Amino acid sequence: MVEIRRYSPVSFKASAKRSEVRDNWKVVLEYEGEGKGPHLVDLSHMTRLDVQDANVGAITPFGVTIPEVPGESVLKDNVLINRMNRIQASVFCLDGHKPEIPKESAYTETTEVGMCLAIIGKEVFSILEKLSSLDFTDPARKAPFLFQGPMSHVPCQIITLSKDGAKSGVLFTASRGYGKDMVHAIMDAGAEFGLKPAGEEKFSSWIASL
Amino acid sequence: MALTITCPVCGKRNGYEFRYGGEDKGPRPDEAGLTPQSWCDYVHMNNCVAGVQKEWWFHKDGCGSWFTIHRNTTTNLQVATPEADR
Repeated sequence: MVEIRRYSPVSFKASAKRSEVRDNWKVVLEYEGEGKGPHLVDLSHMTRLDVQDANVGAITPFGVTIPEVPGESVLKDNVLINRMNRIQASVFCLDGHKPEIPKESAYTETTEVGMCLAIIGKEVFSILEKLSSLDFTDPARKAPFLFQGPMSHVPCQIITLSKDGAKSGVLFTASRGYGKDMVHAIMDAGAEFGLKPAGEEKFSSWIASL
Repeated sequence: MALTITCPVCGKRNGYEFRYGGEDKGPRPDEAGLTPQSWCDYVHMNNCVAGVQKEWWFHKDGCGSWFTIHRNTTTNLQVATPEADR
């Protein structure tokens, strides 16, 4: 039997200190010289699903209820669910391991069609201000919440997971083909704030702290 | 002039996130008795209103919704939906 290999659409100009192969993805756990942050983390290997149904609110992916209002998100047990519109929601499984995908026809796995990145650390919103005109710090919106809008002129789903000082962080996805250029733009925007690539462990400890 | 448009899903956003979809011309004409001339008029002819018109927009950089708004073409500002259209 031929062993398949999955490639992340993004790569960083940094050396991996520790990595492992998981579900045919090479997952970097830690990079050399990660520093104190802010950090950019590649999460493209994490399972993502699209849920679409006329009565999408009645579906409970992995036991989590889908929020009622478009733009609202919920994070529970490392499952992030974002209500996109009347009939659609996106699901992110953020524990790094592939779950058993529900068999219902409402689910479509979208992991390999897109890139997924997280920016975490105190200066996240200063970096994002250079990349997007969306108001991530709108006091009227309580984290986590979803924006469907442009970042670096690329249509993205952007989820603000925390606006809480040093714990601030956002996660975003876009089509796979934009990966290389998005990383280039984000690293360039974050250079003045000391943005460094970080491995999955940095993200896991951050999300556990929320 | 900076245009902002209120998407029914995402709320008020920068006009550059949207693609214009043309004037709202109402429902497609009934095929019974439809002449090439009247079909051509429906497809290609526009009113080009200097004032408030109802028009289609597509949120291309956002949620992907197609929706209608009313816009004043002389000020390039979105205006409230008239009572009659609600």
